[in-house]
Amino acid sequence: MATAVKANRVKQKMVVSRLLQALPILVLATFIVFSLMQLIPGDVAVTLAGENASAERIAQIREAYGLNQPFLAQYGDWLWRAVQGDLGASLLSGEPVAQTIARTFPNTLMIAVYAVLLSVLVGVPLGILAATRSGSPLDSGIMGAASLGVAVPNFWFGMILVLYLALTFKLFPATGFVSPREDFSAALWYATLPALALCTNGIAEIARQLRSSLVEIQSSQHVRTLHAKGLSPARILWKHGLKNVSVNLLTVVGLLFNKILAATVVVEAVFAIPGIGSSIVNAVLQGDFPVVQGAVLAMVVTVILVNLFTDLACTVLDPRISEA
Amino acid sequence: MKKQNRDQQKTELTVNGNGVSRRAFMGYLSGALAAGTLIGPTGSWAQSGGKTGLLRVGANANPSSLDPATGGSGSDHVFLYTIYDTLVAWDFDTLKAEPGLAERWRFTDPKTLVLTLKKGVRFHDGSALNAEAVKINLDRNRGAEFSNIRADLASVDNVTVTGDHEVTLALKNPDTALPLILSDRAGMMVSPAALEKHGGRVDRDPVGAGFMRFANWADGSEVVVSRFDDYHGKDRPALEGIEFKIITDSATRLRAVMSGQADLAYHLDGRQKPLVEKMPTLSGSVSSTIYVYQLYMNMSRKPMDDVRVRQAINHAIDRDAFIRATMAGAGEPAYMNLPESHWAFDKQTAGLYPHDPEKAKALLAEAGYPDGIELDLRGYNDQSSVQMQEVLLAQFAKAGIRGRFRTGTIADMSASYFGQEKTGDMLLSAWTGRPDPSLSYSLMYTEDAYFNAGSVAPPDGFNEALLASRSSDDLDQRKAALAKVQRLVMGNALVAPLAFRQSIVASNDKVTGYRNNLLGKPKFNGVSLKG
Repeated sequence: MATAVKANRVKQKMVVSRLLQALPILVLATFIVFSLMQLIPGDVAVTLAGENASAERIAQIREAYGLNQPFLAQYGDWLWRAVQGDLGASLLSGEPVAQTIARTFPNTLMIAVYAVLLSVLVGVPLGILAATRSGSPLDSGIMGAASLGVAVPNFWFGMILVLYLALTFKLFPATGFVSPREDFSAALWYATLPALALCTNGIAEIARQLRSSLVEIQSSQHVRTLHAKGLSPARILWKHGLKNVSVNLLTVVGLLFNKILAATVVVEAVFAIPGIGSSIVNAVLQGDFPVVQGAVLAMVVTVILVNLFTDLACTVLDPRISEA
Repeated sequence: MKKQNRDQQKTELTVNGNGVSRRAFMGYLSGALAAGTLIGPTGSWAQSGGKTGLLRVGANANPSSLDPATGGSGSDHVFLYTIYDTLVAWDFDTLKAEPGLAERWRFTDPKTLVLTLKKGVRFHDGSALNAEAVKINLDRNRGAEFSNIRADLASVDNVTVTGDHEVTLALKNPDTALPLILSDRAGMMVSPAALEKHGGRVDRDPVGAGFMRFANWADGSEVVVSRFDDYHGKDRPALEGIEFKIITDSATRLRAVMSGQADLAYHLDGRQKPLVEKMPTLSGSVSSTIYVYQLYMNMSRKPMDDVRVRQAINHAIDRDAFIRATMAGAGEPAYMNLPESHWAFDKQTAGLYPHDPEKAKALLAEAGYPDGIELDLRGYNDQSSVQMQEVLLAQFAKAGIRGRFRTGTIADMSASYFGQEKTGDMLLSAWTGRPDPSLSYSLMYTEDAYFNAGSVAPPDGFNEALLASRSSDDLDQRKAALAKVQRLVMGNALVAPLAFRQSIVASNDKVTGYRNNLLGKPKFNGVSLKG
């Protein structure tokens, strides 16, 4: 009982300290993005001024939008508003940034979560299969395919999928998206091809990691002892092997989610999905910094939360972690 | 990001180039896998969302604004045309001015334009489109601090309401280009009631008198408009609505039509033309636009200050080969600033520069460069621009013109070429065209024009001819005056036009009544859906 209370307290402390640590990360991330946006050539004022713009008109627009302010003043202004919960509005279209995020981020999350689930559902059985038949042709086959899976670029695979599954056989839609908040089953259907395109790397990575951890455990002394005690190989695998590699697996999945989240940027373009990634790309190309800042902020927050959640789950699976 | 995009494009090309049959085995395999593992809703997904009467369009860019006065991008018009009607319209094939919200107009003298409005026209919010509303719009467009189109109406001195349905524009100088200017942003009428309600601008709450009323705009995702039942025009809309899906990548846009998520896609690439033609279920509309690729010349620099050098450059270019090599054949050779079907096209001017490398060499020798010339060339760094640069260099080499292209982003290169720095002898870029050709000439060639990088005075007689073209409202007289302008421009080789871009639109077999226009900005007024 006392140990449980203690463990809980340790966990609470961890959550609080992690969230506090996240604040400087957020400020730093948005600052870096803001600085990079300043370095990109091109000027949003020129875009805003239209096709026949005179130099005076451009200067006037710069003034009106505060683009002539010093860099730090612009950033400070943005940060001060953001702290108060005001992420501003797109310089070009005027859509509030919070609204853009609320509209696009669920789509991206949907695809990312879907891809992670597919990775786990396919990658884990493959990894177990390879590990239990380590050294067999099946093992080499799976590991060979996994190497290929790591190497194949998502967007290329996405286009191959479109070519066959959408254009030739018309099983799935080739482009577009339905918001999961409107119609979940349709959203799932539209998200399938993008998720398939995204999960190849994930499947490969999970299978490889799982196999190598399992093989290591299988050859460890305590497993040998379990064999000597007469436990069945299946029982050893399920009860002792997998339990030991679960922390490892969870860490891989956590990292994978973050990686897939980043990869959606390209895949969204291939499938014309109105996600947060394509919002960022368009906003960067046009110098629309409030949108870039807000969207990056949302992504960074997500990554921090996913990491926190992964760590918490790890402490549940392996109490030694929280004691350390 | 740029690099990633480029890689992506290359991959698409190879994918598109691959015959489907070659990979049929893999296709069946993956098809079977997907069918076996995923249980989908019944029915073909091609029909999902295909509400009858709802036209789904693949659009190339998010609008910059849905307020005609505050937006800045040329790609906005396709959306704006559905929501707003213009005072003046144009003929699809020739861009001649036609009645719009103004059923007629006349110049009572060269400096007075009287517009007579159609009666009984209402905005989407029910308010009347009368002379007062037109005055409010024109005054806003030429005076409001945020208006991007003040320059378009610079010649207007004041606007007076001279009747319920009559507006009189007093001009500072003769300007017969005005009717066609009023076919563009400046002539799109916004409901004054809506302006009042939204603080003078309607970027995200547009209310016009067009055949569709605004329903929804989700940035970078979609713009939805729905039928305006009280529309006045003779083209009473057959469509229930239009759903613009914003798909920036042109290959993805075409795929959306091929697989049924969209009914029509516009602004496709030249290299997609064969693909559109090959698909039996698609129909393509391909026609010239006034968008022209051209070499801008800085005539203040040596050797560009010599007219013979500029003529030699024009003779050195093989425009047909250029189009085949860089635009997959989807272009019209440009020997002057306007395409052949335009009302002000001049045949005589178009015959000035046949491809002739020998003549180019002779002209260079005559100008004192028997060993050829070396030029400092500028261009953009996207894939298709770089391809055009390579083809041009190869053609130039045959006429003794050597050089190297320095490339950068559009914003950077055009700013350094036209702006303060004035770097480079020539810039490979494009001219998007203007509703009235006289605008193009004054924006590119007058001495103080921004796009006249060398700020060199135009040839004798140019200003007079340009003024004459804006002083008469008789089309034949205007045409003659513009022909004179054009002969001066091309005779003195102030520019090297290359090719007019074609408007390539793909649609499925349900779409009927779509027609391309010379401006290259699709209008959907006459479109309906079968079945």
